[in-house]
Amino acid sequence: MATVSDLKITELKLSEAEGGKWGMVIDQDICTGCQACVAACAMENNIPFVGDEDSGYGRSMHWIRIERFWEGEYPEVKMTPNQPMLCQQCGSATCEPVCPAFATVHSQAEQLNLQVYNRCVGTRYCANNCPYQVRSFNWRDYQRPEPLPNQFNPDVTVRRRGVMEKCTFCIQRIHKAQDKAKSEGREVVDGEFTAACAQACPANAITFGRIDDPESLVSQLSKQAHGVKHLEELGTFPHITYFKGG
Amino acid sequence: MADTVHLLAVFSDLEPAADAIDQLRALGLSDNDINTISGVPVTEAMLGRPAAWSNVPRIAFGGAILGMSAAAFLVFIAPHWYPYPIQVGTQAYVPGPPSFVLFFELTMLGMLLSTFLGVFLESYFPNYRPMNYVKEASDGKIAVFFTCPSESKDKFTKTMNALGAEKVEVAEVEQL
Amino acid sequence: MTYDKKEKKVVHAEHHAHGDDHFREKHLMLDPLPRGQMNDMVMESMTEPPTWKFWLVFGILSVIVAYGLFYSWARLIIEGVGIAGVNRPSYWGIFLVNTVFWIGISHAGTFISAILRVFRAEFRRPFTRAAELMTTFGLVQAGFSIFMHLGRVWLFYWLLPYPNERMLWPNMHSPLSWDLIAITTYLLSSTMYLFLPLIPDLAMARDKSTGWRKIFYRTLALGFRGTEGEWAHLRNAMNIFAWAIIPVMFSVHTIVSWDFAAATRPGWNSTIFGPYFIVGALHSGMGAVIVVLAIIRATMKNMKYFIRPEHFDAIGKLMLVISMGWAYFFFNDYMVQWYGGDKWTKQLLHFHEGGPLGWMWFAMLICNIAIPWAVLWNPKWRSIPWLVSMVGIFINVGMWLERYIIIPISLTINRMPFTWRMYTPGIEIPLGIGTLAFFCLLYMAASKLIPLIPVWEVQEGQMAHKLTKYGRETVVTVSELE
Repeated sequence: MATVSDLKITELKLSEAEGGKWGMVIDQDICTGCQACVAACAMENNIPFVGDEDSGYGRSMHWIRIERFWEGEYPEVKMTPNQPMLCQQCGSATCEPVCPAFATVHSQAEQLNLQVYNRCVGTRYCANNCPYQVRSFNWRDYQRPEPLPNQFNPDVTVRRRGVMEKCTFCIQRIHKAQDKAKSEGREVVDGEFTAACAQACPANAITFGRIDDPESLVSQLSKQAHGVKHLEELGTFPHITYFKGG
Repeated sequence: MADTVHLLAVFSDLEPAADAIDQLRALGLSDNDINTISGVPVTEAMLGRPAAWSNVPRIAFGGAILGMSAAAFLVFIAPHWYPYPIQVGTQAYVPGPPSFVLFFELTMLGMLLSTFLGVFLESYFPNYRPMNYVKEASDGKIAVFFTCPSESKDKFTKTMNALGAEKVEVAEVEQL
Repeated sequence: MTYDKKEKKVVHAEHHAHGDDHFREKHLMLDPLPRGQMNDMVMESMTEPPTWKFWLVFGILSVIVAYGLFYSWARLIIEGVGIAGVNRPSYWGIFLVNTVFWIGISHAGTFISAILRVFRAEFRRPFTRAAELMTTFGLVQAGFSIFMHLGRVWLFYWLLPYPNERMLWPNMHSPLSWDLIAITTYLLSSTMYLFLPLIPDLAMARDKSTGWRKIFYRTLALGFRGTEGEWAHLRNAMNIFAWAIIPVMFSVHTIVSWDFAAATRPGWNSTIFGPYFIVGALHSGMGAVIVVLAIIRATMKNMKYFIRPEHFDAIGKLMLVISMGWAYFFFNDYMVQWYGGDKWTKQLLHFHEGGPLGWMWFAMLICNIAIPWAVLWNPKWRSIPWLVSMVGIFINVGMWLERYIIIPISLTINRMPFTWRMYTPGIEIPLGIGTLAFFCLLYMAASKLIPLIPVWEVQEGQMAHKLTKYGRETVVTVSELE
């Protein structure tokens, strides 16, 4: 027989997935669509350049993309706010259980969706099952002309063909900051570091930080009334809040 | 047992073959001394023979249990060997419905593999040694093999011929 | 009117006069030949030297396999999946379409040799093996297709459960893991189920052949003689197989359907996909069986005795029923999706029918429903081998299109309109044709190497069938010998 306490257990489980540790707030109203975040992300995370042919065929490999929409028919076209789209680091991610090789798993320490490149065999099921379509697949081994190889970030694995990848919330930066704080015997301070996209944004449209810390900027922003989460109705518990028309 | 001889009688129909087996029994041979070879599954009941004992269903059952244990291992034990508890989505470490799928598939696999193996074990396959055989069996003839005392060989031959055997001869092992 | 009646009566009387002959001509089971003669016929059909036409087709298929399957696959592995057409959002393309298609084809063999055996449908007897061969060879192509699909196929063994240095076991939460285990189970068990009833026929071939064939059949026949014990073990095992392989077959295509149904995508997330896919699999499988039977009957010696219009009639009836079943499930799926009113599903349904590939959707319905229903209702038409095999080809085209609609076309539409993009196949096409050619090649080779007709099963059936007179009417009676 279902009792009230049973119901509570369900609620508790849902809120666990909802909570999370790292979060992001993106203000679409001040986003100019300048693509600086896209470039910064590609630099930071050693994302290959797929070339115009593959890119035109829908194989561009960006962990963050600026989605542009418009309303109405030409010439009465009205732009809607740009929508930066990246991995939402879902609390209950649909990409995770479908991988047969455990290549995409949940990090309990950081409450992030991890992608373990070296476990990936390339079934691409996770990408199909991602409602946000933010995963990128290495369709080929893309060439990097000189001098681009000198620009590799040594903290990030370089991926080869046949492997899925996606936004990590710059986990290398998270770890660096945590290590530094630990060596100095303190906690990571809010604003001490940020993700590459947030750092590069000239309009400060992206805010990154701890959402489990009520004092942090990101958690205060995310509590604002006009914040929305994308495709929340699927029960994925995304960790990114969007502001639009505020 | 130097004083016995293996004889074979070839029949083209069921009825005379069954009569022959009755007759052999009447002449004092036990069912263990008689065997038949046929190219269609002529059941023991048709020839009035005791039902052959087969362990295949038992082996299959054993295999099913083995398969189920393999599934139990994969579901309950293997995850404990991970370097750290791996969580996917918000699913439990031991997921209910997927485990059921695994149990079903591996139980069936174990059962069917061991059924197949059971046929090999029970029939001593593969076996390429020379054996008593009559090639006409694959053309639909029924061959009755029996072991009888050497001195009464003629009597048995005569009886078999009287019942309509196409040929009665001393069975010799041959390379199949 | 009266004239017509008279005429009919005359025909009727004639029919009675030649009753037995009529039955004999029509039914293989009532037209017994001595076993030795049937053996010789089957041996002859198998051992007669292939004609130049056989070698020509064989050669062409070999070239297609060498280019389409092996060369193209090597390129795919060396250059990456990029040379295929898959992109975002159609991460799964024709490779998966072909996988589902071949698994579907493979369902026919089990349906005929297990379900019809369990239900004692006597018409199955001459072609159980021809259908079982399709199961095994079809599953081989399905395996090829799924491995082509993998981004890093050289690491496929990471999907197998074995203790390893990575300290990982396959993720049993994933439908793909269930798939791998289910398909492996099905491939192994259907191969074993093909082999068990083959042993007596291999022994027959061993007794009737010389030279290298003798060695080949002696090795494969394992020393089978046909003693009471051997038959008893075989009968027991085949009984277990016939019953147990049915749920395995159902589970395989259900799990394949869960690859889609378990995902959170519009158009995929449907609870009816399991039975819908099973019926679809049987639909394409029966269609393929009838094509194979028509080809065997037309090209191989002595097969007109074993495979007769009655068999096409019987399979045609099954095809008609399965087509109705498919239509039922299709409509069920469509209706609920349509009524649900989810905006993405609505968009998807609109895209299916009115998108640039909308012709596929209509072609699917014509091939899977209209053509079979238009032809198969008529007992005369469905007894004509070339006509029913044409219907079979149409059904297979229709079922392939159905999978194409479910996989790449449905993937085009998702909840992120920014990523909507069409899918154009690349190297998938030669690879797909390569699997088809390889299937035909394997089948052609097998037709020359193993007896396609289970002679002992046919003889067993002929022993069991009798004509009995009830009053003035002669009817067929079957005794249960097993």
